[in-house]
Amino acid sequence: MTSRRSFIRTLGAGAAALGGLTACGGGGGSTSPGGGGNPPPPPPPAVSGPILVVIQVQGGNDWLNTLPPLTGANAGAYRSNRPAIGIPESELTPLNMAGTGDVGLNKDMLGMDVLHAAGKVAWIPGIGMPNPNLSHFTSTDLWGQGAAVPDGSGWLGRWGDAVFAPSDILRGIAVTSDIMLMVHGKKRDFVSVVNTSDFVYPAYLRSTATPPDANFLKTGFLASLNGAAGDPAAGLAASEGKLWYDAQATFSTLIKARTPSVAYPGDASFTNPRNLTRLSSQLSSQLKLVAQMIASGIPCQVYTVRLGGFDTHSNEATDYPRLMGALGGSIKAFHDDLATIDTTVDGKTVKAQDRVLMMAWSEFGRRIKENNGGTDHGTSVLCFCAGNMVRGGFYGGGYPDLTKPDANGNMVSTSDFRGLYATLLDKFLGGDSKAVLGATYTPLGFLG
Amino acid sequence: MATFDAQITSWTVADVQHFGRRAGFGLTPEQASTLAAQAPGPVIDAWVDDTLDKNAFNAALPRADVVPTGANGNIPADPAPHPFRLDGWRRQSGIPNAQAHFAWRMQYNPNPLQEKLALFWHQLLATGAEKVDNPALTTKQVDLFRSATARGPFGALLLAVSQDPAMMIWLDTILNRVRPGSSDVANENYAREILELYSLGVDNGYNQQDITNLARAFSGWTLTPLDVQTDPNNANNQAPNDASWRVNSTYHATGTITFLGQSFDIGAPTRFGQDLPQAILTLRGPNAAQFLATRLLRFFVDPAIPATPLADLQALILAQGFDVGKVLKAVFKSQYFYAPQNRYNLYEGPVAWTVRAARMLCPTLAAAAAVSPVPAFAAWRLVVNPYFSQAGQAVLDPDGPNGWKEHGGWINSNTMRYRGKLAAALALGETTSGLQIFPSTVASWFPSAPASAVEVFNRLVALLQPAPIPNSVRDAWLSGLWSTFTWDNSSGTQQKVRELAFLVLCSPYAQLH
Repeated sequence: MTSRRSFIRTLGAGAAALGGLTACGGGGGSTSPGGGGNPPPPPPPAVSGPILVVIQVQGGNDWLNTLPPLTGANAGAYRSNRPAIGIPESELTPLNMAGTGDVGLNKDMLGMDVLHAAGKVAWIPGIGMPNPNLSHFTSTDLWGQGAAVPDGSGWLGRWGDAVFAPSDILRGIAVTSDIMLMVHGKKRDFVSVVNTSDFVYPAYLRSTATPPDANFLKTGFLASLNGAAGDPAAGLAASEGKLWYDAQATFSTLIKARTPSVAYPGDASFTNPRNLTRLSSQLSSQLKLVAQMIASGIPCQVYTVRLGGFDTHSNEATDYPRLMGALGGSIKAFHDDLATIDTTVDGKTVKAQDRVLMMAWSEFGRRIKENNGGTDHGTSVLCFCAGNMVRGGFYGGGYPDLTKPDANGNMVSTSDFRGLYATLLDKFLGGDSKAVLGATYTPLGFLG
Repeated sequence: MATFDAQITSWTVADVQHFGRRAGFGLTPEQASTLAAQAPGPVIDAWVDDTLDKNAFNAALPRADVVPTGANGNIPADPAPHPFRLDGWRRQSGIPNAQAHFAWRMQYNPNPLQEKLALFWHQLLATGAEKVDNPALTTKQVDLFRSATARGPFGALLLAVSQDPAMMIWLDTILNRVRPGSSDVANENYAREILELYSLGVDNGYNQQDITNLARAFSGWTLTPLDVQTDPNNANNQAPNDASWRVNSTYHATGTITFLGQSFDIGAPTRFGQDLPQAILTLRGPNAAQFLATRLLRFFVDPAIPATPLADLQALILAQGFDVGKVLKAVFKSQYFYAPQNRYNLYEGPVAWTVRAARMLCPTLAAAAAVSPVPAFAAWRLVVNPYFSQAGQAVLDPDGPNGWKEHGGWINSNTMRYRGKLAAALALGETTSGLQIFPSTVASWFPSAPASAVEVFNRLVALLQPAPIPNSVRDAWLSGLWSTFTWDNSSGTQQKVRELAFLVLCSPYAQLH
């Protein structure tokens, strides 16, 4: 993996893209949601008790259908390459992306137009890596590692290694049954919390009754965890078991029941103006749990959640609206839900909505030219961040030049994904991005 | 091949139990003693060649296996007496049945290697049931992984799985359509994954153009529904109970492609691209052999995959013409396989871990069937969903075509949580609706009465076979259970034994195998 500086050098062709990247690298590159030419909005207030929610958009989001170009050569290229599955202009909400032409926001991405209009969304189209890989798994691993020189650990895991105290068991939580590489540290992983029922040890598989002699089983389990600590073979199970054991002891005393204050995708009462069917509740159920944990005062600073299904090789015309609805609708509902939660930071009451920043990423974008009903693996990605503290607009090196794809027909990225991570570390979480990422990457400018 | 040249000519009970854990789902001390008295070669051959007596197992299958169905719509009453019915029309609701069916077979198959090898191929050629949306077709694929094809030349299996209905649905082969002579773009999904995930490994001897061209060769491959079943509750809901590969020439690209540096006529009526899977192994033999060797070592032997054994196994695979059965025999008979450093160096997947405990603690097939034909079987249907997925392995329904991350990938705070809950069901005798989920009796675990607490511990360890547990941990457990040891049939004694078995299963040591 190369540094951002060498990435800029490798761009070579595509002067427009390079120009955009350079402009962004200078520390700005944003445009207000209201359109180019307006004065930049005032800096958002400093965040007290920041909470980052990382949303994995799994499978490779065909973001050319999330945010298609509306004008210029890019629009022509988009239309000619997407005769069957391209999103009609009537289905797009125009957004002005100064300097690179207008783009349209897919109306099926429920609620994101509202968040954008409120200046709460930072879009980063064309973000990626110097040497993209078209494998889901290799690319996901590279995004997860987020390092100048990948070493198998994840960028948020390394951040946790640096700032978590040993007692900070719940400071990083994966709301998935697996631990994505992103939160896998060199010292330890984030803890996984996928539900709150029977979150105690010992617990039966199906019944809520407490096993007999629970105290003996606790001390016995702890004896084996301590006995195997540091063991070359069993040490991993010991450390992960201990993480679970320590987490359950605290978590079960803090967690409180909560009913969401708004309807989420998958709920019968969810407002669905686009009449989208079969909206997945995968992401919304995770975000409901995050809201419950925030409302309960769980001392967590980073949550990871996931929405799958974006590997749209086929049936994209049918599947993509549902995916957009679930993604946008869940984000908007979660954001609204947070407005009703009061939290305490350093003895002061702070609205959860003022603390939570969402960041959505995907392992790659997809091929510019459609196949028979879908799109194959591509390169450059659309990331976006949403929250009250975001300075809304477009960031990064600009929209990729669709008329100048690489040799495989894929987009050439215009900014480096590690610049996004540097932004989140330096401007939000409070960390040393150079130490965590292994090099200096210029922040994107949508925070602070 | 030096690593695998030196073969064993005899084996100890501990050797047999190591073989049993890795090649199957564990052997009781009694089973291991019986095999240890036999020469290892014929025993291993019988497991790999699948020549063991399975009459009793086969006789039990109709009670807990696929229900033979007659003409369309002629479906027996639901649900009794067939808990794991797998008709195609059941679709999503039938996936847990297919999972339970697989687990049931793992628990009772007299040749555990047949099921372990199916699990290996399922892990490698991972296909997700949710998208396939047809448990009958999902199970048909696992039957392929149980068949002689799965232990023969890898090229034949690669072609068979390329034409397997579940795989063709899973990775969009049936939607890969290119009209001859048109500018239609092929769907690359399967072409990419057969190279990246199923035969060579990522970026290991191919490029994007190879993927694009291979995708054209697979275009027009589709299925012929043979046996359409209709949901009696919904006349409009039809799904095949079976299907087979065919070519729709309207959507099959013709002409010549270049693949891995060689030209292929993909329109030839006798081939239609069917020669391409084998061509991967022919044209990239060393790469494919290295890939397969890596997967075999990680699953069966040593997750560290040391360079010399890897190179030697790669050479062995090439020398044996990718014959999986011959390679497995060489591995299982090698002194290397039984070397001390390869004992308890591998985390066991949660499904195999659960099945192995069930094999050790629950009644045998004969004992279970003698009591009650169906309820006495472990109620896998209650266990598989969502607990296998929470433990990290939604067997038959992986999220992606890369399967699961093995070894250390099985272990995190959530999977340890759910292994603890599974251990409670297995060892503590958890009941639901008045029935034990995993039926067992403490008395059946002990062929003779133990004379001390340490003997209780030793017997449980001999059954559950964790990595060595330090005496300090053992003593902490035993002192908490018995201040004065007595052995009787009281519920109090049984409870203590169950709690000890539970602690063994939950411990970090028992996650290794």
